[in-house]
Amino acid sequence: MPEWPRRLSEEIRQHLDDEYDALRARGLSHDDAMRRLAGDLDELASMRARRIDAAALDLRYAARTLRKNLGFTLVVMLTLALGIGATTAVFTVVDGVLLRPYAYPDMNRIVTLMETTRRGQIISVAWPNFEDWRAQNEVFEHLGIYRGMVMNLTGGEQPERIVGSLASSEVFKALGLDAIVGRAFTPQEDDPSVPRVAVLSERLWRSHFGGDPAAIGRAITLNDEPYTIVGVMPDGMRFPTRTTDVWLPLGLFVRTFPPDRGAHPGLLAVAKLKPGVSVERASADMDAIARRLEQQNPISNTDHTVLLTPYADEIVQNIRPALVTLACAVAFVLLIVCANLANLMLARADGRHRELAIREALGASRWRIVQQLLTEAVLIAIGGGALGALLAWWAVAMFVASRPTSIPRIDRIAVDGRVLVFTAIVSIATGVAFGLAPALRASSIDLLTSLRDAARGSPGGGRRLRALLVVGEIALALVLLVGAGLTIRSFAALAALDLGFDPARVVTMRVSAPNARYPDPARWIAFHREILARVSGIPGVEAAGLNSATPLEGGGSESEVRYEGQPPPRSVSEEATACLFQATTPEYFRAMGIVFVRGRAFTPHDDAAAAPVAIVEEALARKFFAAADPIGKRIAFEFTGGHSAAARPVWREVVGVVRHVRHYGLVREPDNLEVYVPLEQLPIWFRDRRPTMTLFVRTPLEPQQLAASIRRAVSTVDPQIPVFSVLTMNEYVGQATEQPRLNMALLGAFGALALALASVGIYGVLSYLVGRRTQEIGIRLALGATRADVLRLIVGHGMALAAAGIAIGLFGAWAIARLLGALLYGVSPHDPATFAAIAALVAAVAFAASYLPGRRAARVDPMLALRAE
Amino acid sequence: MQHIASRVLDRELKKGSAELLVLSLVEDQPRHGYDLSKLIESRSDGVLTFRVASLYPLLYRLEKRGWIQGRWIEKAGQRRRRYYRLTAAGAQVLASQRNTWKEFVEAINRIAGVEHA
Repeated sequence: MPEWPRRLSEEIRQHLDDEYDALRARGLSHDDAMRRLAGDLDELASMRARRIDAAALDLRYAARTLRKNLGFTLVVMLTLALGIGATTAVFTVVDGVLLRPYAYPDMNRIVTLMETTRRGQIISVAWPNFEDWRAQNEVFEHLGIYRGMVMNLTGGEQPERIVGSLASSEVFKALGLDAIVGRAFTPQEDDPSVPRVAVLSERLWRSHFGGDPAAIGRAITLNDEPYTIVGVMPDGMRFPTRTTDVWLPLGLFVRTFPPDRGAHPGLLAVAKLKPGVSVERASADMDAIARRLEQQNPISNTDHTVLLTPYADEIVQNIRPALVTLACAVAFVLLIVCANLANLMLARADGRHRELAIREALGASRWRIVQQLLTEAVLIAIGGGALGALLAWWAVAMFVASRPTSIPRIDRIAVDGRVLVFTAIVSIATGVAFGLAPALRASSIDLLTSLRDAARGSPGGGRRLRALLVVGEIALALVLLVGAGLTIRSFAALAALDLGFDPARVVTMRVSAPNARYPDPARWIAFHREILARVSGIPGVEAAGLNSATPLEGGGSESEVRYEGQPPPRSVSEEATACLFQATTPEYFRAMGIVFVRGRAFTPHDDAAAAPVAIVEEALARKFFAAADPIGKRIAFEFTGGHSAAARPVWREVVGVVRHVRHYGLVREPDNLEVYVPLEQLPIWFRDRRPTMTLFVRTPLEPQQLAASIRRAVSTVDPQIPVFSVLTMNEYVGQATEQPRLNMALLGAFGALALALASVGIYGVLSYLVGRRTQEIGIRLALGATRADVLRLIVGHGMALAAAGIAIGLFGAWAIARLLGALLYGVSPHDPATFAAIAALVAAVAFAASYLPGRRAARVDPMLALRAE
Repeated sequence: MQHIASRVLDRELKKGSAELLVLSLVEDQPRHGYDLSKLIESRSDGVLTFRVASLYPLLYRLEKRGWIQGRWIEKAGQRRRRYYRLTAAGAQVLASQRNTWKEFVEAINRIAGVEHA
């Protein structure tokens, strides 16, 4: 019995009064009498505290009640586990990616800088422009410049490919991190006279030098040249990418940066704002500098300005919309779970009226009953939350193990104490959310009615609340399903995209032969020819080709392209035609299944001695030559004499026209027109870069099977050249569609869960209604209503709820679908077909959920129903 | 040490005998709680006393088990009091407890008495 009955208190009070009176009658003073009674009072107080410790008592009672209704408890806990588990999992990712602090102090003052045209085309920074930015700006505390580069690390058992970066000393200052061993670069190392030194990542230091501080001063061989290690940066330094393992001083490369403002050698800048300077102010300041440069250098700088992006935004900008959407979606699911459980608890509270009425008659206050019911709800929610945390832990582990490439900071994503605190709070809040309404309602029932009515169930006042909850559930489910439907349509649009090549059964890998090892261009070309010859000889290889860019992988070298007879630019601001420039070998097109619209592929005869040729994509042919036959026309992307007016083009003949190949991923495809040039006929500016080539091999075998033999073939040509990034083209397609696929899968799953919960909600409310109205239905039937009438009555009720929910949901979905815009491709966020289809789906499910209780109602035997009274 | 030991014995004895005492006192006539506590104190010459905090829950328990039955009785000029009387079931329990107690005390006496003699 949780309450100390009132009569016991009364008896005890009387006893104490009697004793007091007796003591006073014996002549004791009030104080003495009270002192005598003190022992009793103390004991009572401590006993009360022990016995009526309400929380503990409620807990015990709640646990017993829940154990007694094990089926109910399990259903509720599982529902909660799904809702809280999904919420926890999404929170874990959101927390790891968006909320967790970065290793860089003052992250909010770090910005990245790029040159951009006023039309929004982003380009890298010209070296002379950077020097002016540095000299003229008044908003940055530090302004550094860097460029990513991949390098061959040799000297170990196997040559390795590592990601590095050249970086000025200010890069380290802007990021604000100190070396954990040795030092970062000094300003002297920004000077061309610098010796070859290198700073390592903690990861490389630990894996290759066992974390030995004595590594400082030792040598490391990068691209065949020795560098002295001067420092190790902490693990938190993941700049410019999270895989960067080595930094080389800017000074070593300064001489390679063209002193030409029209040349953009891949440099990017990073800066720390002075305290108190906003990004807007800094942007305005940099724009002013850009305008000055524009006036001074109209040929190269017209229309160019500077784009500042907070570094934290840059890291997460691609993923943020998806995460925000998922967070909203999962919050909706949790709300639906709450509504559903509130409904279930209401139904159950109705069944418990008698119990509650008796307890109230025994003296339990209304507040105590509310407390009691809330304790039950919260207890069950904590159970569900614990289960949900397990579920989330599992889901997050699976997710991280799948190594999604589109999620930044993936290694920070884990279910830990921080996440569990969140889960606990959500669980308790959930318990209160779904427990409060039923508790308040149950406690406000009129005692007499209830006791009298107990045998039959309850008064019907909760019906409106329950109907409202169901309408809310349907509305939320519809919003979620519209979101899911839109992402599905968007994914279908992506999947239907013409890639321009056939990704099936193509294995790719990269081969990088650097300048230092192949200073002679002829030897560099011969190296690649030799590789191709050997790889083509491997059994099972259908075709093997090299290309300097990898489709879907995001880029390559860009260049300006002109055609013979093109009128000279009318003004300096007229944009030149940009193209994606590719060095290619003859079999590349066959290996990739690229379709020729006209003309031919390269042949081995298109070599250094032959007339220069090129293959272009359809759109370029259309743009330059309109309806005319492009074959035999001439184009150029090499000019003698730089950007001056006297520049003379080096013409090459178009020999083939191919379909457009998607290079920048599926969604973002800038209108760079694609051109291909034989490896033996590269313009000097491109050949001198010794671009990393990608090998493409088409094979009827399992692509990965071949990888080992191809590696062996390459190492027989030159064992010092690493082969890396072994991936099939289908894996590239998978990476490119990863995020939309995730969005679709998660929103789809949440939508399906929401729909299932909402249909259970409708079913529950109608079943309850049928149970309550059995007599009424009996009377109707006795008075001549047909069974079809009864079915219509019940189903009509369900469909009325559904209609209200659908209407509200459509309105809500319409209002917030715009937020989905960033995630969608090829479908409007207000796509009428999706809205209509989802509304129909929800209506159909609502009908099914209403039909079952309706059919039961129609089968009521009027005689039995009436006799039951 | 000795003091604590005797206190523990005292407490255990009281606990073991409390039901018997209450049942015995309501055997002939209904009594209320205060009356019971005063009777126990006076008839034992102050050796046995019951704290309020243990007496009333004990009455509550006994009543719940159906061994005694309480009734509120109002007398003129007094506030109502709850009087307890022995039920038939309680009478049976009392008889058996008396027996047990008697055997127990005799056994203790036989042992403790012989040693002292």
